[in-house]
Amino acid sequence: MGVVIELRNVTYSYPLADKPAIKDVSLKVEEGKFYGVIGKNGSGKTTLCSIIRGFAPSFFKGELEGEVLLYGKPMSEYDQGELALHMGYVFQNPFNQISGVKETVFEEVAFGLENFGVPVEEIEERVMDIMKLTKIDHLAEQHPFELSGGQQQRLALASILVLEPDIMVIDEPTSQLDPEGTESVFEIISQLKKARKTVILVEHKVDLIAEYADEIFVLNDGELIKSGDKHDVLTDVSLLDHGVQLPQMAVLGHRLRKRGLNLDYIPITEKEAKDVIGRLIYREAQ
Amino acid sequence: MWAEKLRIRKNNVIADLYPLTKLWIAALYALCVLILGTMKIDGYPVYMMAAFLVVPILALLSGIFKKFLNVYKGIFTLCLFILVVQALLIKSEEIVWGFKLFGNFTINVYKGGLQKGLDLSFNIMNIASILAWFFQTTENKELVYALEKKGMSPKASYVFLSTLQMIKVLQHNSRVIMNAQQARGVETEGNLFVRARAFLPSMVPLIMGSIANTEERVLTLESKGFSVKCKKTHIFDVVPSGNERTAMIIAVTITILVVVWRVLAWVL
Repeated sequence: MGVVIELRNVTYSYPLADKPAIKDVSLKVEEGKFYGVIGKNGSGKTTLCSIIRGFAPSFFKGELEGEVLLYGKPMSEYDQGELALHMGYVFQNPFNQISGVKETVFEEVAFGLENFGVPVEEIEERVMDIMKLTKIDHLAEQHPFELSGGQQQRLALASILVLEPDIMVIDEPTSQLDPEGTESVFEIISQLKKARKTVILVEHKVDLIAEYADEIFVLNDGELIKSGDKHDVLTDVSLLDHGVQLPQMAVLGHRLRKRGLNLDYIPITEKEAKDVIGRLIYREAQ
Repeated sequence: MWAEKLRIRKNNVIADLYPLTKLWIAALYALCVLILGTMKIDGYPVYMMAAFLVVPILALLSGIFKKFLNVYKGIFTLCLFILVVQALLIKSEEIVWGFKLFGNFTINVYKGGLQKGLDLSFNIMNIASILAWFFQTTENKELVYALEKKGMSPKASYVFLSTLQMIKVLQHNSRVIMNAQQARGVETEGNLFVRARAFLPSMVPLIMGSIANTEERVLTLESKGFSVKCKKTHIFDVVPSGNERTAMIIAVTITILVVVWRVLAWVL
Protein backbone atom coordinates (compact mmCIF):
# COMPACT_ATOMS: atom_id res chain seq x y z
CA MET A 1 0.00 0.00 0.00
CA GLY A 2 1.28 3.45 -0.90
CA VAL A 3 1.97 6.16 1.63
CA VAL A 4 -0.56 8.98 1.29
CA ILE A 5 0.51 11.19 4.18
CA GLU A 6 3.88 11.49 5.78
CA LEU A 7 5.04 13.63 8.68
CA ARG A 8 8.79 14.02 9.08
CA ASN A 9 10.01 15.36 12.41
CA VAL A 10 7.10 17.74 12.71
CA THR A 11 7.04 20.22 15.57
CA TYR A 12 4.25 22.75 15.68
CA SER A 13 3.51 25.66 18.03
CA TYR A 14 0.37 27.77 18.02
CA PRO A 15 0.93 31.53 17.90
CA LEU A 16 1.84 32.98 21.32
CA ALA A 17 2.08 29.48 22.83
CA ASP A 18 4.89 28.80 25.34
CA LYS A 19 5.52 25.27 24.20
CA PRO A 20 4.86 23.24 21.06
CA ALA A 21 1.53 21.41 20.75
CA ILE A 22 3.21 18.72 18.62
CA LYS A 23 6.82 17.69 19.20
CA ASP A 24 9.02 15.93 16.70
CA VAL A 25 6.32 13.66 15.29
CA SER A 26 7.13 11.36 12.41
CA LEU A 27 4.51 9.05 10.99
CA LYS A 28 3.25 7.49 7.80
CA VAL A 29 -0.35 6.98 6.76
CA GLU A 30 -0.90 4.25 4.19
CA GLU A 31 -3.64 4.20 1.60
CA GLY A 32 -6.83 2.33 2.53
CA LYS A 33 -5.92 1.86 6.17
CA PHE A 34 -7.93 2.90 9.20
CA TYR A 35 -5.94 4.76 11.85
CA GLY A 36 -7.08 5.47 15.38
CA VAL A 37 -5.58 8.43 17.23
CA ILE A 38 -5.77 8.20 21.02
CA GLY A 39 -4.39 10.10 23.97
CA LYS A 40 -5.61 12.01 26.98
CA ASN A 41 -7.15 15.49 26.67
CA GLY A 42 -4.64 18.11 25.54
CA SER A 43 -2.24 15.52 24.15
CA GLY A 44 -2.31 17.11 20.68
CA LYS A 45 -4.77 14.85 18.83
CA THR A 46 -6.80 17.66 17.26
CA THR A 47 -3.63 19.62 16.44
CA LEU A 48 -2.21 16.56 14.70
CA CYS A 49 -5.41 16.32 12.64
CA SER A 50 -5.19 20.02 11.77
CA ILE A 51 -1.61 19.54 10.56
CA ILE A 52 -2.57 16.49 8.52
CA ARG A 53 -5.52 18.37 6.97
CA GLY A 54 -3.38 21.43 6.25
CA PHE A 55 -5.23 23.83 8.55
CA ALA A 56 -2.10 24.28 10.65
CA PRO A 57 -0.19 26.42 10.00
CA SER A 58 -2.08 27.87 6.96
CA PHE A 59 -5.21 28.79 8.94
CA PHE A 60 -4.08 28.80 12.57
CA LYS A 61 -0.71 30.36 11.67
CA GLY A 62 1.96 29.44 14.25
CA GLU A 63 5.28 27.82 13.53
CA LEU A 64 5.79 24.45 11.89
CA GLU A 65 9.12 22.70 11.64
CA GLY A 66 9.69 19.52 9.69
CA GLU A 67 7.84 18.27 6.63
CA VAL A 68 4.24 17.33 5.94
CA LEU A 69 3.75 15.49 2.67
CA LEU A 70 0.55 14.55 0.92
CA TYR A 71 1.07 12.05 -1.89
CA GLY A 72 4.78 12.89 -1.65
CA LYS A 73 4.22 16.61 -2.26
CA PRO A 74 4.64 19.22 0.49
CA MET A 75 1.30 20.23 1.99
CA SER A 76 2.14 23.92 1.48
CA GLU A 77 2.01 23.39 -2.30
CA TYR A 78 -1.68 22.48 -2.22
CA ASP A 79 -4.40 25.11 -2.09
CA GLN A 80 -7.39 24.62 0.24
CA GLY A 81 -9.67 23.64 -2.65
CA GLU A 82 -7.39 20.80 -3.74
CA LEU A 83 -7.07 19.66 -0.14
CA ALA A 84 -10.87 19.62 0.24
CA LEU A 85 -11.06 17.22 -2.71
CA HIS A 86 -8.36 14.92 -1.30
CA MET A 87 -9.25 15.10 2.37
CA GLY A 88 -12.52 15.34 4.24
CA TYR A 89 -12.57 16.70 7.78
CA VAL A 90 -15.34 16.13 10.30
CA PHE A 91 -15.28 18.02 13.61
CA GLN A 92 -16.49 17.27 17.12
CA ASN A 93 -19.42 19.64 17.29
CA PRO A 94 -22.05 18.74 14.70
CA PHE A 95 -23.91 22.02 15.19
CA ASN A 96 -20.92 24.11 14.05
CA GLN A 97 -20.57 22.08 10.88
CA ILE A 98 -23.81 23.31 9.43
CA SER A 99 -23.13 25.95 6.79
CA GLY A 100 -25.89 28.19 8.10
CA VAL A 101 -27.12 29.20 4.65
CA LYS A 102 -29.19 26.20 3.60
CA GLU A 103 -32.76 25.55 4.57
CA THR A 104 -32.99 21.82 3.94
CA VAL A 105 -30.80 18.82 4.70
CA PHE A 106 -30.65 18.05 0.98
CA GLU A 107 -29.25 21.49 0.14
CA GLU A 108 -26.82 21.28 3.05
CA VAL A 109 -25.35 18.01 1.74
CA ALA A 110 -25.20 19.51 -1.75
CA PHE A 111 -23.36 22.66 -0.57
CA GLY A 112 -19.83 21.27 -1.08
CA LEU A 113 -20.62 19.99 -4.57
CA GLU A 114 -22.09 23.38 -5.50
CA ASN A 115 -18.84 24.99 -4.42
CA PHE A 116 -16.91 22.71 -6.77
CA GLY A 117 -19.24 23.58 -9.65
CA VAL A 118 -20.55 20.02 -10.09
CA PRO A 119 -23.49 19.92 -12.57
CA VAL A 120 -26.92 19.96 -10.93
CA GLU A 121 -27.99 16.53 -12.25
CA GLU A 122 -24.86 14.93 -10.82
CA ILE A 123 -25.31 16.76 -7.52
CA GLU A 124 -28.82 15.35 -7.13
CA GLU A 125 -27.64 11.81 -7.84
CA ARG A 126 -24.64 11.95 -5.50
CA VAL A 127 -26.58 13.64 -2.70
CA MET A 128 -29.37 11.05 -2.86
CA ASP A 129 -26.83 8.21 -2.73
CA ILE A 130 -24.93 9.62 0.21
CA MET A 131 -28.11 10.45 2.14
CA LYS A 132 -29.20 6.83 1.77
CA LEU A 133 -25.79 5.61 2.93
CA THR A 134 -25.84 7.86 5.97
CA LYS A 135 -29.53 7.13 6.59
CA ILE A 136 -30.69 10.72 6.49
CA ASP A 137 -32.73 10.44 3.29
CA HIS A 138 -35.97 10.64 5.29
CA LEU A 139 -34.79 14.00 6.69
CA ALA A 140 -34.07 15.55 3.28
CA GLU A 141 -36.67 18.31 3.57
CA GLN A 142 -36.01 19.21 7.21
CA HIS A 143 -34.09 22.27 8.36
CA PRO A 144 -30.53 21.28 9.43
CA PHE A 145 -30.81 23.17 12.71
CA GLU A 146 -33.89 21.18 13.67
CA LEU A 147 -32.12 17.80 13.70
CA SER A 148 -30.94 15.94 16.79
CA GLY A 149 -27.20 15.79 17.62
CA GLY A 150 -26.82 12.32 16.11
CA GLN A 151 -28.67 13.32 12.97
CA GLN A 152 -26.59 16.48 12.65
CA GLN A 153 -23.36 14.48 12.94
CA ARG A 154 -24.59 12.08 10.24
CA LEU A 155 -25.41 15.15 8.16
CA ALA A 156 -21.88 16.49 8.77
CA LEU A 157 -20.41 13.17 7.61
CA ALA A 158 -22.71 13.08 4.58
CA SER A 159 -21.76 16.66 3.62
CA ILE A 160 -18.10 15.63 3.48
CA LEU A 161 -18.51 12.11 2.11
CA VAL A 162 -20.48 13.44 -0.84
CA LEU A 163 -17.24 15.08 -2.04
CA GLU A 164 -15.78 11.57 -2.29
CA PRO A 165 -12.43 12.37 -0.64
CA ASP A 166 -9.78 9.64 -0.58
CA ILE A 167 -8.82 10.46 2.99
CA MET A 168 -11.16 11.18 5.90
CA VAL A 169 -9.97 12.90 9.07
CA ILE A 170 -12.62 12.53 11.75
CA ASP A 171 -12.11 14.30 15.07
CA GLU A 172 -14.11 12.85 17.96
CA PRO A 173 -17.35 12.59 16.02
CA THR A 174 -19.23 10.98 18.87
CA SER A 175 -18.05 13.06 21.83
CA GLN A 176 -21.39 14.86 22.06
CA LEU A 177 -23.62 11.95 21.12
CA ASP A 178 -25.66 9.42 23.07
CA PRO A 179 -25.01 5.65 22.56
CA GLU A 180 -27.61 5.47 19.79
CA GLY A 181 -26.07 8.45 17.98
CA THR A 182 -22.60 6.98 18.45
CA GLU A 183 -23.70 3.69 16.96
CA SER A 184 -25.24 5.36 13.94
CA VAL A 185 -22.06 7.36 13.28
CA PHE A 186 -19.86 4.27 13.60
CA GLU A 187 -22.13 2.44 11.15
CA ILE A 188 -21.11 5.05 8.58
CA ILE A 189 -17.46 4.85 9.58
CA SER A 190 -17.56 1.09 9.09
CA GLN A 191 -18.88 1.72 5.56
CA LEU A 192 -15.78 3.84 4.91
CA LYS A 193 -13.60 0.99 6.04
CA LYS A 194 -15.41 -1.35 3.67
CA ALA A 195 -14.94 1.16 0.85
CA ARG A 196 -11.18 1.06 1.58
CA LYS A 197 -10.97 4.78 2.30
CA THR A 198 -8.03 6.04 4.32
CA VAL A 199 -9.48 7.05 7.68
CA ILE A 200 -7.82 8.90 10.56
CA LEU A 201 -10.15 8.85 13.52
CA VAL A 202 -9.62 10.62 16.84
CA GLU A 203 -11.74 8.92 19.47
CA HIS A 204 -11.72 8.45 23.23
CA LYS A 205 -13.89 5.34 23.02
CA VAL A 206 -11.03 2.83 22.74
CA ASP A 207 -13.41 -0.13 22.45
CA LEU A 208 -14.70 1.30 19.20
CA ILE A 209 -11.18 2.08 18.02
CA ALA A 210 -10.21 -1.51 18.77
CA GLU A 211 -13.14 -2.67 16.67
CA TYR A 212 -12.48 -0.62 13.56
CA ALA A 213 -8.86 0.57 13.39
CA ASP A 214 -5.97 -1.18 11.71
CA GLU A 215 -3.25 0.91 13.30
CA ILE A 216 -3.05 3.25 16.26
CA PHE A 217 -1.19 6.47 17.03
CA VAL A 218 -0.85 7.29 20.72
CA LEU A 219 -0.07 10.88 21.67
CA ASN A 220 1.05 12.24 25.00
CA ASP A 221 1.95 15.89 25.59
CA GLY A 222 2.38 16.41 21.87
CA GLU A 223 4.69 13.45 21.39
CA LEU A 224 3.94 10.29 19.48
CA ILE A 225 4.70 7.76 22.20
CA LYS A 226 3.52 4.63 20.43
CA SER A 227 2.25 3.63 17.02
CA GLY A 228 1.67 0.48 15.07
CA ASP A 229 -0.67 -2.50 14.80
CA LYS A 230 -3.74 -2.14 17.02
CA HIS A 231 -3.03 -5.40 18.87
CA ASP A 232 0.47 -4.34 19.79
CA VAL A 233 -0.61 -0.90 20.93
CA LEU A 234 -3.91 -1.57 22.65
CA THR A 235 -2.58 -4.38 24.79
CA ASP A 236 0.34 -2.35 26.12
CA VAL A 237 -0.33 -1.71 29.81
CA SER A 238 2.27 1.07 29.91
CA LEU A 239 -0.29 3.27 28.15
CA LEU A 240 -2.24 3.39 31.39
CA ASP A 241 0.62 5.48 32.86
CA HIS A 242 -0.07 8.11 30.17
CA GLY A 243 -3.76 8.33 30.99
CA VAL A 244 -4.81 6.21 28.00
CA GLN A 245 -7.43 3.58 28.66
CA LEU A 246 -7.16 0.11 27.23
CA PRO A 247 -10.15 -1.66 25.67
CA GLN A 248 -12.28 -3.49 28.25
CA MET A 249 -11.46 -6.84 26.66
CA ALA A 250 -7.71 -6.13 26.89
CA VAL A 251 -8.08 -5.27 30.59
CA LEU A 252 -10.05 -8.51 31.07
CA GLY A 253 -7.36 -10.48 29.21
CA HIS A 254 -4.58 -9.04 31.36
CA ARG A 255 -6.53 -9.80 34.55
CA LEU A 256 -7.20 -13.37 33.46
CA ARG A 257 -3.53 -13.87 32.70
CA LYS A 258 -2.61 -12.42 36.07
CA ARG A 259 -4.85 -15.06 37.67
CA GLY A 260 -2.88 -17.73 35.90
CA LEU A 261 -5.08 -18.45 32.92
CA ASN A 262 -3.05 -19.28 29.86
CA LEU A 263 -4.66 -17.14 27.15
CA ASP A 264 -3.30 -17.54 23.62
CA TYR A 265 -3.30 -13.79 23.19
CA ILE A 266 -4.74 -10.65 24.79
CA PRO A 267 -8.04 -9.86 23.09
CA ILE A 268 -9.04 -6.29 22.30
CA THR A 269 -12.54 -6.83 20.96
CA GLU A 270 -15.55 -8.82 22.13
CA LYS A 271 -15.18 -11.17 19.18
CA GLU A 272 -11.56 -11.89 20.01
CA ALA A 273 -12.42 -12.38 23.70
CA LYS A 274 -15.00 -14.99 22.75
CA ASP A 275 -12.45 -16.69 20.53
CA VAL A 276 -9.63 -16.74 23.08
CA ILE A 277 -11.85 -17.84 25.96
CA GLY A 278 -13.45 -20.46 23.72
CA ARG A 279 -10.01 -21.85 22.90
CA LEU A 280 -9.10 -21.86 26.59
CA ILE A 281 -12.25 -23.75 27.55
CA TYR A 282 -11.65 -26.24 24.71
CA ARG A 283 -8.08 -26.84 25.90
CA GLU A 284 -9.15 -27.21 29.51
CA ALA A 285 -11.92 -29.66 28.52
CA GLN A 286 -9.41 -31.85 26.71
CA MET B 1 -36.13 16.59 -9.59
CA TRP B 2 -34.85 18.39 -6.48
CA ALA B 3 -33.95 21.52 -8.42
CA GLU B 4 -37.59 21.62 -9.52
CA LYS B 5 -38.80 20.88 -6.00
CA LEU B 6 -36.74 23.69 -4.45
CA ARG B 7 -37.93 26.29 -6.96
CA ILE B 8 -40.15 28.86 -5.28
CA ARG B 9 -43.43 29.25 -7.10
CA LYS B 10 -46.01 31.91 -6.37
CA ASN B 11 -49.57 31.95 -7.54
CA ASN B 12 -49.60 35.68 -8.15
CA VAL B 13 -48.33 37.30 -11.35
CA ILE B 14 -46.77 40.31 -9.57
CA ALA B 15 -45.27 38.37 -6.65
CA ASP B 16 -43.87 35.82 -9.11
CA LEU B 17 -41.81 38.44 -10.97
CA TYR B 18 -38.03 38.00 -11.03
CA PRO B 19 -36.47 39.48 -7.85
CA LEU B 20 -34.34 42.00 -9.72
CA THR B 21 -37.38 43.23 -11.68
CA LYS B 22 -39.17 43.80 -8.40
CA LEU B 23 -36.09 45.55 -7.07
CA TRP B 24 -36.14 47.84 -10.13
CA ILE B 25 -39.83 48.55 -9.59
CA ALA B 26 -39.12 49.46 -5.95
CA ALA B 27 -36.22 51.72 -6.99
CA LEU B 28 -38.29 53.46 -9.67
CA TYR B 29 -41.14 53.93 -7.21
CA ALA B 30 -38.73 55.53 -4.71
CA LEU B 31 -37.46 57.80 -7.48
CA CYS B 32 -41.02 58.82 -8.38
CA VAL B 33 -41.77 59.54 -4.73
CA LEU B 34 -38.69 61.75 -4.43
CA ILE B 35 -39.67 63.65 -7.60
CA LEU B 36 -43.28 64.04 -6.45
CA GLY B 37 -41.96 65.29 -3.11
CA THR B 38 -40.52 68.33 -4.88
CA MET B 39 -43.95 69.30 -6.22
CA LYS B 40 -45.85 71.10 -3.51
CA ILE B 41 -49.16 72.91 -3.15
CA ASP B 42 -49.02 75.71 -0.61
CA GLY B 43 -45.81 74.12 0.71
CA TYR B 44 -47.47 70.73 1.35
CA PRO B 45 -46.19 67.58 -0.49
CA VAL B 46 -49.70 66.71 -1.69
CA TYR B 47 -48.68 64.50 -4.65
CA MET B 48 -46.25 62.49 -2.58
CA MET B 49 -48.95 62.08 0.06
CA ALA B 50 -51.31 60.74 -2.59
CA ALA B 51 -48.64 58.29 -3.75
CA PHE B 52 -48.66 56.50 -0.43
CA LEU B 53 -51.82 54.70 -1.56
CA VAL B 54 -49.91 53.03 -4.40
CA VAL B 55 -48.06 50.47 -2.27
CA PRO B 56 -51.09 49.10 -0.40
CA ILE B 57 -52.81 48.70 -3.79
CA LEU B 58 -49.68 46.96 -5.11
CA ALA B 59 -49.69 44.70 -2.04
CA LEU B 60 -53.36 43.90 -2.61
CA LEU B 61 -52.68 43.02 -6.25
CA SER B 62 -49.65 40.93 -5.18
CA GLY B 63 -51.83 38.88 -2.83
CA ILE B 64 -49.95 39.83 0.34
CA PHE B 65 -52.26 42.53 1.68
CA LYS B 66 -52.85 40.95 5.10
CA LYS B 67 -49.16 40.31 5.72
CA PHE B 68 -48.30 43.76 4.40
CA LEU B 69 -50.87 45.49 6.63
CA ASN B 70 -49.08 44.25 9.78
CA VAL B 71 -45.83 45.92 8.70
CA TYR B 72 -47.65 48.94 7.34
CA LYS B 73 -49.27 49.54 10.73
CA GLY B 74 -45.81 49.73 12.31
CA ILE B 75 -44.47 52.09 9.64
CA PHE B 76 -47.61 54.25 9.94
CA THR B 77 -47.25 54.54 13.73
CA LEU B 78 -43.60 55.56 13.42
CA CYS B 79 -44.38 58.15 10.76
CA LEU B 80 -47.30 59.53 12.77
CA PHE B 81 -44.94 60.00 15.71
CA ILE B 82 -42.40 61.80 13.51
CA LEU B 83 -45.17 63.99 12.09
CA VAL B 84 -46.50 65.00 15.51
CA VAL B 85 -43.04 65.74 16.90
CA GLN B 86 -42.03 67.82 13.90
CA ALA B 87 -45.33 69.69 13.70
CA LEU B 88 -45.15 70.65 17.37
CA LEU B 89 -41.45 71.38 17.70
CA ILE B 90 -40.40 73.05 14.46
CA LYS B 91 -41.61 76.57 14.88
CA SER B 92 -42.63 78.95 12.10
CA GLU B 93 -44.54 82.17 11.99
CA GLU B 94 -47.84 80.71 10.85
CA ILE B 95 -49.79 78.61 13.33
CA VAL B 96 -52.18 76.17 11.67
CA TRP B 97 -53.91 75.11 14.81
CA GLY B 98 -53.46 75.76 18.51
CA PHE B 99 -55.27 75.37 21.80
CA LYS B 100 -54.77 76.28 25.43
CA LEU B 101 -53.97 73.30 27.60
CA PHE B 102 -53.82 75.01 31.02
CA GLY B 103 -52.93 78.52 32.17
CA ASN B 104 -50.68 80.15 29.60
CA PHE B 105 -49.46 76.82 28.22
CA THR B 106 -50.63 76.37 24.64
CA ILE B 107 -50.00 73.66 22.12
CA ASN B 108 -49.40 75.00 18.62
CA VAL B 109 -49.13 73.18 15.36
CA TYR B 110 -46.87 75.27 13.17
CA LYS B 111 -47.27 75.35 9.40
CA GLY B 112 -43.52 74.99 8.77
CA GLY B 113 -43.32 72.04 11.17
CA LEU B 114 -46.37 70.42 9.63
CA GLN B 115 -44.92 70.78 6.13
CA LYS B 116 -41.56 69.35 7.16
CA GLY B 117 -43.24 66.62 9.18
CA LEU B 118 -45.47 65.58 6.28
CA ASP B 119 -42.52 65.66 3.92
CA LEU B 120 -40.33 63.47 6.10
CA SER B 121 -42.99 61.05 7.30
CA PHE B 122 -44.49 60.43 3.84
CA ASN B 123 -41.02 59.98 2.39
CA ILE B 124 -40.25 57.35 5.03
CA MET B 125 -43.67 55.74 4.70
CA ASN B 126 -43.44 55.46 0.91
CA ILE B 127 -39.92 54.09 0.78
CA ALA B 128 -40.30 51.79 3.80
CA SER B 129 -43.55 50.38 2.49
CA ILE B 130 -42.19 49.65 -1.00
CA LEU B 131 -39.26 47.83 0.64
CA ALA B 132 -41.75 45.94 2.84
CA TRP B 133 -43.66 44.94 -0.31
CA PHE B 134 -40.42 43.83 -1.98
CA PHE B 135 -39.24 41.66 0.91
CA GLN B 136 -42.68 40.19 1.45
CA THR B 137 -42.92 39.07 -2.15
CA THR B 138 -39.28 37.98 -2.42
CA GLU B 139 -37.51 35.39 -0.31
CA ASN B 140 -34.01 36.28 0.81
CA LYS B 141 -32.39 33.42 -1.05
CA GLU B 142 -34.23 34.38 -4.26
CA LEU B 143 -32.73 37.86 -4.05
CA VAL B 144 -29.27 36.60 -3.17
CA TYR B 145 -29.07 34.02 -5.97
CA ALA B 146 -30.47 36.53 -8.47
CA LEU B 147 -27.76 38.98 -7.44
CA GLU B 148 -25.13 36.23 -7.58
CA LYS B 149 -26.20 35.50 -11.15
CA LYS B 150 -25.57 39.16 -11.88
CA GLY B 151 -22.02 38.82 -10.58
CA MET B 152 -22.23 39.36 -6.83
CA SER B 153 -19.49 37.47 -5.00
CA PRO B 154 -20.53 34.13 -3.41
CA LYS B 155 -18.78 35.34 -0.26
CA ALA B 156 -21.14 38.33 -0.09
CA SER B 157 -24.15 36.01 -0.59
CA TYR B 158 -22.88 33.77 2.19
CA VAL B 159 -22.49 36.69 4.58
CA PHE B 160 -26.00 37.95 3.76
CA LEU B 161 -27.74 34.58 4.13
CA SER B 162 -25.76 33.39 7.14
CA THR B 163 -26.43 36.65 8.98
CA LEU B 164 -30.15 36.04 8.58
CA GLN B 165 -29.79 32.43 9.72
CA MET B 166 -27.59 33.51 12.62
CA ILE B 167 -30.70 34.56 14.52
CA LYS B 168 -31.72 30.89 14.67
CA VAL B 169 -28.23 29.86 15.80
CA LEU B 170 -28.14 32.50 18.51
CA GLN B 171 -31.62 31.50 19.68
CA HIS B 172 -30.47 27.90 19.96
CA ASN B 173 -27.27 28.85 21.80
CA SER B 174 -29.01 31.23 24.17
CA ARG B 175 -31.55 28.50 25.07
CA VAL B 176 -28.68 26.15 25.92
CA ILE B 177 -26.92 28.83 28.02
CA MET B 178 -30.14 29.79 29.80
CA ASN B 179 -30.75 26.16 30.71
CA ALA B 180 -27.16 25.83 31.95
CA GLN B 181 -27.50 29.01 34.03
CA GLN B 182 -30.79 27.77 35.46
CA ALA B 183 -29.12 24.48 36.39
CA ARG B 184 -26.50 26.49 38.31
CA GLY B 185 -29.19 28.28 40.23
CA VAL B 186 -29.27 31.56 38.29
CA GLU B 187 -32.84 32.80 38.14
CA THR B 188 -33.70 33.50 34.53
CA GLU B 189 -37.45 33.78 34.74
CA GLY B 190 -39.59 36.24 36.63
CA ASN B 191 -40.08 39.98 36.61
CA LEU B 192 -38.09 42.49 34.59
CA PHE B 193 -35.47 42.98 37.31
CA VAL B 194 -34.81 39.22 37.63
CA ARG B 195 -34.50 38.87 33.85
CA ALA B 196 -32.18 41.88 33.63
CA ARG B 197 -29.92 40.35 36.30
CA ALA B 198 -29.75 37.08 34.35
CA PHE B 199 -28.99 38.93 31.12
CA LEU B 200 -25.25 39.55 31.62
CA PRO B 201 -24.26 36.01 32.74
CA SER B 202 -26.09 34.73 29.64
CA MET B 203 -24.81 37.29 27.15
CA VAL B 204 -21.10 36.86 27.89
CA PRO B 205 -20.96 33.11 27.10
CA LEU B 206 -23.31 33.64 24.16
CA ILE B 207 -21.05 36.21 22.51
CA MET B 208 -17.77 34.51 23.46
CA GLY B 209 -19.13 31.14 22.33
CA SER B 210 -20.27 32.57 19.01
CA ILE B 211 -16.82 34.03 18.37
CA ALA B 212 -15.16 30.72 19.28
CA ASN B 213 -17.55 28.76 17.04
CA THR B 214 -16.77 30.99 14.09
CA GLU B 215 -13.34 29.37 13.77
CA GLU B 216 -14.82 25.88 13.43
CA ARG B 217 -17.43 27.17 11.00
CA VAL B 218 -14.74 28.72 8.79
CA LEU B 219 -12.81 25.44 8.75
CA THR B 220 -16.03 23.61 7.91
CA LEU B 221 -16.53 25.92 4.95
CA GLU B 222 -12.95 25.26 3.83
CA SER B 223 -13.58 21.52 4.11
CA LYS B 224 -16.55 21.98 1.79
CA GLY B 225 -14.47 23.79 -0.80
CA PHE B 226 -16.01 27.20 -0.22
CA SER B 227 -12.88 29.08 -1.30
CA VAL B 228 -12.34 27.03 -4.47
CA LYS B 229 -11.93 29.36 -7.42
CA CYS B 230 -14.36 28.00 -9.99
CA LYS B 231 -17.82 28.74 -11.30
CA LYS B 232 -20.22 27.50 -8.64
CA THR B 233 -23.47 25.74 -9.38
CA HIS B 234 -26.74 26.04 -7.47
CA ILE B 235 -29.46 23.46 -7.18
CA PHE B 236 -31.75 26.26 -6.11
CA ASP B 237 -32.49 28.42 -9.12
CA VAL B 238 -34.41 31.63 -9.67
CA VAL B 239 -36.03 31.88 -13.08
CA PRO B 240 -38.00 34.73 -14.67
CA SER B 241 -41.77 34.21 -14.85
CA GLY B 242 -42.04 35.73 -18.35
CA ASN B 243 -43.93 38.85 -17.28
CA GLU B 244 -40.85 40.88 -16.39
CA ARG B 245 -40.73 42.82 -19.67
CA THR B 246 -44.34 44.01 -19.34
CA ALA B 247 -43.81 44.95 -15.68
CA MET B 248 -40.68 46.94 -16.51
CA ILE B 249 -42.39 48.73 -19.43
CA ILE B 250 -45.24 49.80 -17.09
CA ALA B 251 -42.83 50.90 -14.32
CA VAL B 252 -40.53 52.83 -16.67
CA THR B 253 -43.50 54.48 -18.47
CA ILE B 254 -44.94 55.69 -15.15
CA THR B 255 -41.53 57.01 -14.10
CA ILE B 256 -41.10 58.85 -17.43
CA LEU B 257 -44.58 60.37 -17.03
CA VAL B 258 -43.72 61.56 -13.52
CA VAL B 259 -40.45 63.08 -14.76
CA VAL B 260 -42.21 64.79 -17.71
CA TRP B 261 -44.91 66.10 -15.36
CA ARG B 262 -42.25 67.48 -13.04
CA VAL B 263 -40.36 69.15 -15.89
CA LEU B 264 -43.58 70.63 -17.32
CA ALA B 265 -44.63 71.91 -13.89
CA TRP B 266 -41.22 73.49 -13.55
CA VAL B 267 -41.15 75.05 -17.05
CA LEU B 268 -44.76 76.23 -17.21
